Amino acid sequence: MSSQDHYVIIGNGPAGNHAAAVLRKKDKEARVSIISDECIPYYYKPKLTGFITGSVPREDLLVLSLESYARENIRVRLGQKVERVDVDSKTLHFSHMEKIQYTKLVIASGSDSRMLPSMEPYEWALKFVTSYTDVMEYKDQIKNAQEIFIFGGDFVGFKFLRMLDAMGKKVSILIYPHAFWPYNLSDEMLDQVVANLSKTRVQVIVKDDIKDIKGSPGAYRIKTCNGIEKKADLIFSFNGMTPNIDFIKGSGIDYDHGILVDEYLKTTVDDVYACGSCAQIYNPAIKAYTVTIGWPNAVNQGEVAALNLLGDHKVITSVGRKYFDLEGVKIKTTWWKNIEDE
Amino acid sequence: MYSKEEGFFKDKKKTYSVQSVKRIVYSTDARDFGQAARSVPCQEACPAKTNIPGYIRCIHDKRYGRAYELNRMANILPGVLGRICSRPCEAACRHGEPDNGTSVGICHLKRACADLKPASHKIIEGLYSPTDKKVAVIGSGPAGLAAAHDLSVFGHKVMIYEGQEKPGGMLMYGIPEFRLPRDLLMLEINNILRMGIQITTGKKIGTDIALKDLEKEYDAVVVATGCVIPRKLGIEGEDLENVHNGLEFMAAVNEGQAPYVGKKVAVIGAGFTAVDCARSAVRLGASDVSLNIRKTQEYMRIDESEKHEAAFEGILTNSLIQPSRIIGDGKKVTGIEFVRTRMEKTDTPPFRTSVLIKDSQFTVQVDSVIAALGQGPDADGISRDLKKLKSLGDLAWKGKVFATGDFVTGSTDVITAIAGARKCARLVDEKLIGEKRRQTVVRLEDHKTTDRPRAYDFISRREMNTIDMEKRLENPANEVETGFDETRAFEESKRCYLCNLKYEIDPLACIYCSACIDVAPKDCIKMIRNIPLNDDGSYGDYEETSDWNDVVSITIENAACIRCGQCLAVCPMDCISVTKTELIEIDI
Ligand SMILES: Cc1cc2nc3c(=O)[nH]c(=O)nc-3n(C[C@H](O)[C@H](O)[C@H](O)COP(=O)(O)OP(=O)(O)OC[C@H]3O[C@@H](n4cnc5c(N)ncnc54)[C@H](O)[C@@H]3O)c2cc1C
Ligand SMILES: Cc1cc2nc3c(=O)[nH]c(=O)nc-3n(C[C@H](O)[C@H](O)[C@H](O)COP(=O)(O)OP(=O)(O)OC[C@H]3O[C@@H](n4cnc5c(N)ncnc54)[C@H](O)[C@@H]3O)c2cc1C
Ligand code: SF4
Ligand code: SF4
Repeated sequence: MSSQDHYVIIGNGPAGNHAAAVLRKKDKEARVSIISDECIPYYYKPKLTGFITGSVPREDLLVLSLESYARENIRVRLGQKVERVDVDSKTLHFSHMEKIQYTKLVIASGSDSRMLPSMEPYEWALKFVTSYTDVMEYKDQIKNAQEIFIFGGDFVGFKFLRMLDAMGKKVSILIYPHAFWPYNLSDEMLDQVVANLSKTRVQVIVKDDIKDIKGSPGAYRIKTCNGIEKKADLIFSFNGMTPNIDFIKGSGIDYDHGILVDEYLKTTVDDVYACGSCAQIYNPAIKAYTVTIGWPNAVNQGEVAALNLLGDHKVITSVGRKYFDLEGVKIKTTWWKNIEDE
Repeated sequence: MYSKEEGFFKDKKKTYSVQSVKRIVYSTDARDFGQAARSVPCQEACPAKTNIPGYIRCIHDKRYGRAYELNRMANILPGVLGRICSRPCEAACRHGEPDNGTSVGICHLKRACADLKPASHKIIEGLYSPTDKKVAVIGSGPAGLAAAHDLSVFGHKVMIYEGQEKPGGMLMYGIPEFRLPRDLLMLEINNILRMGIQITTGKKIGTDIALKDLEKEYDAVVVATGCVIPRKLGIEGEDLENVHNGLEFMAAVNEGQAPYVGKKVAVIGAGFTAVDCARSAVRLGASDVSLNIRKTQEYMRIDESEKHEAAFEGILTNSLIQPSRIIGDGKKVTGIEFVRTRMEKTDTPPFRTSVLIKDSQFTVQVDSVIAALGQGPDADGISRDLKKLKSLGDLAWKGKVFATGDFVTGSTDVITAIAGARKCARLVDEKLIGEKRRQTVVRLEDHKTTDRPRAYDFISRREMNTIDMEKRLENPANEVETGFDETRAFEESKRCYLCNLKYEIDPLACIYCSACIDVAPKDCIKMIRNIPLNDDGSYGDYEETSDWNDVVSITIENAACIRCGQCLAVCPMDCISVTKTELIEIDI
C-alpha cells in the first residue's frame, strides 16, 4: 500500500506508539507524525514512582530512543501541545501558534490525574505523579522531605507509598473512600488493605476528609474533619486518572468522560480515531461505554485503531485478565499489569 | 468638564476651542448596524443588546453607578442578571476565540457594578408625560416586570396581576436563594414598581378574574405568564410518593418547605431546573445525589460554572442514560430503571441525538426522584382566545391582547424574556399612541486612542470566589458566590478588548506600505478586491486577494481585530482612525 496520507497521532504513550508502529508497517509511503507535549521520548509511566525514589535511572525509564523513531521514519514532535482540532479543515492548532494538516488522526492523549472538585481550593499544595514533566519539578524535594502526606489511594498511590516507606520517610495516608480507582473496593477489601498497612510505619487515616491545608512547600499543615492535625513537607494526591481531552472540546468530536468511540475505535467524526486511556469505548457485550486506563489495553487499542483507520473492521476486545496485588488484596483485571515485572 | 451641548470643553483653568469637540453621528444605515453587530460579538449575542464594552470600561474607570445604569437601560435587573444570567455573551466574546485566551467574565462584572455602586446611586429613568392609557400585565416574572417598566416609562398606567403571593416569577419561585438572594431581588423589583406600577398578587387570570374582563377595563393586556406546566416523564411509576416534579419541588424549597428527598436522589434533566433541584437536595441532607442525562455533559443547557458547582457539591452526573421505569413498593419509590443511550448524528442542529440501546436496562436504588424535564405554557388555563393571537416571533398580538416572555417562546432564560418583553412594550405603545416613539440607532464618535495597553491582553481571567461546603450546608440560603471586590473587578475589566472601538484605514490616505500588516498579531488586516453587500444592506464577507493588481483597499476586519492598536502606532500616514460605535435608543 502506498499513500499521500499524513497520519497524525496525538500522544506518545503506549497507545500512540503502537498505533504509529502499525501505520508505518502497513503504509510505507505515508507521513506518520507523533505529537507529545512532553520533552521525552516514549517512556514507561509505570516506572515513574521508581524514578522519583531513585531506584529507576532515566535510561531505564525510556521505551524508545529518539534514534529509533528516525529509523522507522516516524516524525516525532516533542514539547508541542495541541490546543485545538479543526475537523472541517483537518487542522491541528498548537499552543505555539503553528498549524499542521492531517488526513487521518489518531487521538491517544492518555489521561491526567483526577482532581477532586472538593480539593480544588488546595490545588496549590498538591503534587501529582502523572508525567515525567510533573515529576521533574519535585524530584529533588523528595530527597530532602521528611514527612509526606498522601491523600486518596489508587493503585499508583499505594505503590508510591511503599517506596517512600522503604526510603525511610514518615508517611501518612488519608484513604479517601472513592479513590480506589479504577476499582471500587468492598469494605472487607478495605479492611484487608488497612490491616496490611498497619504492619508498616505508615500512618493510616480512614473515614475522614481534609478540612484545611495551610502553609507552603516544606511546611504544610493539614487539618482533617475529625480533628487530626498533620505536618508535611509534601502532599500528594492519588485519586485516579481522568481522560485528557480538553483540546477536542468544541471540535464536534463527541465526548463524555472520554472521547466517545464505537467498538471500532472510531469517533463521531470521520477519519478521527481514539484509543488508550483518553477513549471511552462502546462495548456491545455490556451495551455501555467504558474507559480503560492501564498499559496493556492501551497497547492493544493503539494497534486496533491503526488497523481500522487503514480500512479493517476489528472489534476491540479487552486483553486477558491478570491478577494484580494491592496490599494483599488480589484483584483480577485486564486494566493493570505490573510493568516493572516485565 | 466636557459639555456636549455647549460644544466645548470647560476646565477650571482653560477653555478649549470648538475644534476639539468630538464628532458624533447617529446612524440608521444598515451598513453601520451590520458593522456594529460584527464588531461587538458579545453585544450582538445578548438578546437585550446590553452595551457590554461600555459598562466594562466604566468599571475600569471606577464609575460603577454609570456601569449599572448602562446595564439597567438594556436589561432592567443588573444585580439579578449579574448572578444568574445564562451568559450567551461570554460564549461569543472575542477574547474566548481560538488563540485569544478565555472570554471576559462579563457576567461577574455585571454583578460587580451592582455590588460596587455607591449607596447613594441615582437611578435614571427617561419618563414620558403621562398618557390616559391603562395597561394590564399578567405575570410578574422578568418578562412581566420588564414590560410593565417600559410601559410605565411611556407614561401609561400599569397594573400587574400575579397569581402567586410574591412577585418575580421564576426568579422568586424557581431559582434558589443560594444563587439569588431575595433581598437583592426585591430591591431591583421595587425599583421597577416604584415607578407607580400597581400590583395585585394572589389572583389568577382565568380562575379568579377573566381575561375578557381585563380587556374591557384596560386599553391593552400583556400576557407574560411564563411556562408553568411541567413536562411529564411519561413512564410507569411516575405517580409514586417521593417522585417530585422539578418546578413544584423548587417552588416548595423556595417557600421554605423541606420536601422529602432521603439520602439517595436521582434527578432527571439537563437544564437549570435539574441542577437547582440537585443542589437543593444536597442542602436538604441528601448524601448521594445524581443528575441523569440522555446525552453528554457537552449538551447540557447550563454554563460551565454551574456544572462545576454541582460537581463541587458532590453531585455526580450520569450521562448517556434515560429513565424507563420508576420502581416502588406500591406506595413509595424505591428505585429507578434506566436504559443506556448512544450518540448519533442528525442533519439538523445540534446535529446529535441520543438513541436508546436495546436491552441495556439497569436499575439503581433511590429514595426519591426529581423529574426536571422543562415546562410549557398554560394558554388554555387563562383563556382559549389566546390561541388566536398572531405570532410575531418572540411576541404575539391580536387586538388589545399582547403576549411575551416564556409564554410565547417556551422556556428560555431571563435575558431572553426581558428582551422580548421590551420589544413587546414598544409595540403596545405604538398601538396605543398610533406611532413609534423610540428607535435604535448606531452612535458613532471619534476616539483618539486604543484606551488600553497590549499587555492587558495577557491577563488571565479572574474567577469568582465561592463559600466553602460547610457554609453552604449551614444555611441553605447562604449565597454561594461572593462577588468581586474592586481589585478583582478592575483586573477583569482590563481584559476587555473594547470591541466597540472600530478601526478603519482611510483608503485615500493609505500608501499601501503594508506596515500595519507586518505588525498585526492576527489575520486582521486584509487586502481586498471587493466588499459585497448583503440583502439587508449590510456589508458581507470581504473578498480577499493576494494580487496587488486587484487590491482596491487594505481593510481592517473588525471581526478579527483584537484592538491592540499596533497598526495605529505604526502607520506612517496616520490614516488609521478609531471610532466608538454604540447601539443606543433615541426618541424619534
Ligand atoms: C505513575 C503511574 C503509574 C502507572 N502504573 C501502571 C501499572 O503499573 N500498570 C499499568 O497497567 N498501568 C499503569 N499506569 C497507567 C498507564 O501508564 C496508562 O494507562 C497508559 O500509559 C495509558 O497509555 P496511553 O497511550 O493511553 O496514554 P499516555 O501514556 O498517558 O500518553 C498520553 C500522551 O499524550 C500526550 N498528550 C496529551 N495531551 C496532549 C496534547 N494536548 N498535545 C500533545 N500531546 C498530548 C502526552 O504527552 C503523552 O505523551 C500508570 C500510570 C501512572 C501515571
Ligand atoms: C428552577 C429554575 C431555574 C432557572 N434558572 C435560570 C438561570 O439561572 N438563568 C436564567 O437566565 N434563567 C433561568 N431559568 C429560566 C427563567 O427563570 C425563565 O426563562 C424566566 O423566568 C421566564 O420569564 P417570564 O417572565 O416569561 O416567566 P416566569 O418567570 O415564569 O413568570 C411568569 C409569572 O406569571 C405568573 N402567572 C402564571 N399564570 C398566571 C395566571 N394565570 N394569572 C396570574 N399570574 C400568572 C406566574 O406566577 C409567574 O410569576 C430558570 C428556571 C427555573 C424553573
Ligand atoms: S472583548 Fe469585551 S467587547 Fe469584545 S466581545 Fe469580549 S466582552 Fe465584548
Ligand atoms: S488594532 Fe490593528 S493590528 Fe491590532 S488587531 Fe486590530 S487591526 Fe490588527
